[in-house]
Amino acid sequence: MTEQRKVKIRVDHLTKKFGDLTVLDDVSFDVKEGEFLCIVGPTGCGKTTFLNSVTKLYDITAGQILVNDEEVDLKKHNISYIFQEFSAMPWLTIEQNVGFGLDIKKVPKDRKKELVDEMLEIVGLADFRNFYPQQVSTSMNQRIGIARAFATKPEILLMDEPYGQLDIDLRFKLEDELIKLWKKTGTTVLFITHNVEEAVYLSEHIMVLTNKPCHVKTVIENTLPRPRDVMSLEFVKMRDHVTEMIKWW
Amino acid sequence: MTAKKARGKKKKHSYIWLSVLSVVLFFFVWWLFTEGSLGTIKENVLPGPIKVFQTLIDKFSNKNPDGATMQVHLWASLKVTLTGYVIGCLVGIPLGILMGWYEKADMFVNPIFDFIRPIPGIAWTPLFILLFGIGMLPKVIVIALATFGPALVNAYTGIRQTKEVHIWVGQTFGASKGEILRKIAIPSSIPFILTGMRVGLGVAWSTIIGAEMLAATAGLGYLINLCRGIYRPDIIIASMICVGVIGAALGLVLTFLERQLMKGGRW
Amino acid sequence: MLERKAKMWQKIAAAAVSFALLILIWQLAAMNPQFSQVMPGPFAVLQKFFVSFVEPIGKNVMLQHMLITLSRWAAGFIAATILGIALGLTMGWYRGFEAFMRPLFELVRPIPTLAWIPLVILWCGIGELAKYVLVFIGAFMSIVQNAYHGAKSVDRTIVNAARMLGCNDRQMFFTIVIPASVPAISAGLQIGVASAWSSVVAAELVRSSSGVGWIVVTGQQNNNMTQILVGILVIAVIGLLLALLIRRVEDVLCRWNKRGR
Repeated sequence: MTEQRKVKIRVDHLTKKFGDLTVLDDVSFDVKEGEFLCIVGPTGCGKTTFLNSVTKLYDITAGQILVNDEEVDLKKHNISYIFQEFSAMPWLTIEQNVGFGLDIKKVPKDRKKELVDEMLEIVGLADFRNFYPQQVSTSMNQRIGIARAFATKPEILLMDEPYGQLDIDLRFKLEDELIKLWKKTGTTVLFITHNVEEAVYLSEHIMVLTNKPCHVKTVIENTLPRPRDVMSLEFVKMRDHVTEMIKWW
Repeated sequence: MTAKKARGKKKKHSYIWLSVLSVVLFFFVWWLFTEGSLGTIKENVLPGPIKVFQTLIDKFSNKNPDGATMQVHLWASLKVTLTGYVIGCLVGIPLGILMGWYEKADMFVNPIFDFIRPIPGIAWTPLFILLFGIGMLPKVIVIALATFGPALVNAYTGIRQTKEVHIWVGQTFGASKGEILRKIAIPSSIPFILTGMRVGLGVAWSTIIGAEMLAATAGLGYLINLCRGIYRPDIIIASMICVGVIGAALGLVLTFLERQLMKGGRW
Repeated sequence: MLERKAKMWQKIAAAAVSFALLILIWQLAAMNPQFSQVMPGPFAVLQKFFVSFVEPIGKNVMLQHMLITLSRWAAGFIAATILGIALGLTMGWYRGFEAFMRPLFELVRPIPTLAWIPLVILWCGIGELAKYVLVFIGAFMSIVQNAYHGAKSVDRTIVNAARMLGCNDRQMFFTIVIPASVPAISAGLQIGVASAWSSVVAAELVRSSSGVGWIVVTGQQNNNMTQILVGILVIAVIGLLLALLIRRVEDVLCRWNKRGR
């Protein structure tokens, strides 16, 4: 079944330099439609640069990025990005923040209301819809970003350590929520994390990056049956395998 | 725990008493050396607090010695200030936003403003008096110029300080350049724009007082300067109090605006 | 590195172009007799500026006027810096002193500097002292304000760490509070420079017999637009140099702070 899926994102010889510093060195890979890809790698290896280059938020030095066989275009392709740092706009209420992407994409009002309500419910912010981001906790702030990203029903979802700053129970809840949403919407997900357990829990494939200059070390297929049990033998084996691959020492 | 809290509270109380004491002491010493038993300071140098207070009240109905009541002068100053201030903001803020947003234009325009900015608004007064006489127009231009500087610089800085991640959010959702400016850069620079408006207001209010000393037939600056010539420090101080109170009141209007525009608190 | 250099040259070129353009437009306008009747051309102003270094305006040549104004500025500004920083820091650090002084300070603060001019002249006469006092008032307010906030917002962690290491109150004030407030103080000095500059010019405009402000105001009285523009030009240049000077001082004082940013 996996083989029949068509290629959603094709990254072709991507290179990114900041001045003399090469951060990404000739990276090539494909992501299939509807795939859940986790990207792991040593700290400071350029994971954020990686996603920012894939979306062309950064001008890339060389290479090509194709979505549905055409050059990636943020105006045309429905992409959402959940950033590592807080990105909620302090001048908008939580409700307005969640609807921000829908505003930009000119979604009709009643449809927008529907989508925003749904997302607020899922991330548990419905009671705080009229609050402002600086009035709520850090974990709520991160949830605003998550809700805003999902509200547009993106075809590609990029996540840059989105759960790094959340409490552990909320993280588990949102991980399961993410899988549910992913299954329901068929979104293609690129998920950066430094947490191997999280990667093994979520992914279909795990891409391991090397230290700077960063390139793809290996891609591991993860076919563990869902729902996954973090205590099961297979899970632990897989986790150890990935950890082994990350080690750069 | 509660004992500690109570002690903290008690300490806070004593600080408040200290504040009250300092203000009372200030007025008492002032009174003592003027109207009080140690009254050695002459009234045409420093009148006592009671005299100043009486003059302040009296000046709202008494046209002497300058031919107009306090509220006439107040209104004359306010009218010019507000007109010039609004013009200065309406030109300065949009220009600052554009300069912050378009780097190319900024390179050309900024050097000229950098050169003009150190000129205090008041220094322009003689030039515009010579060009337009001593009516309202030259003063409005001077106030507009004085407001313009801080309004522009702060709007400019605000746009430049827009968080990269906020722009990224717009970009990934496919926002156009114009949308990013309107929906992200401008709202995110509101705190800076308001700071510019606050600084500009202070400068404008100070400049009008100075400008009226140079050329006017009414206004608080005119009144103060006139009373210097006739040795009436009581009216000078009474007018200075009015200047301070009006300045503070105008500041409150901006505070209100701040609350409205930044409902969730500053960012 | 090379890129940065190229960008700097680009900036300089752009600045040159825009100044040239401004002067050109001004000159073209000045060729129109109706315009030049009220407003001289840029070269007439520049010429007058240079001539004024040899031919006196009033009793003094330009350099003397500049030095007179600068000395007034310096006297008031230096006094305001010393007293302002001292008052601001003490007020920010000692709660009791704050409770006593702050209300008095807040009572006076809303009164704009320029509103003080007549009262100060009345008290100090029309001599130099009045100008020093006015410059002092102008700079003092913002310097106190900033030093106060600087001392008030010293990082609690550092204070607690110092206290744990057995730092006494006096040591705390001199080795922690003062250095930690330097960035805030230098921000206050920058505003102070500008408002002191504005005060001295205003004081000279209202009542004086020398200095760059006096050049401007006598230009108005004699219907001499060229002289006014020369005065404004000098005011701009000195103001700019003072701002650059204080920024340089800040760079040196805040080196440790900038690097952190």
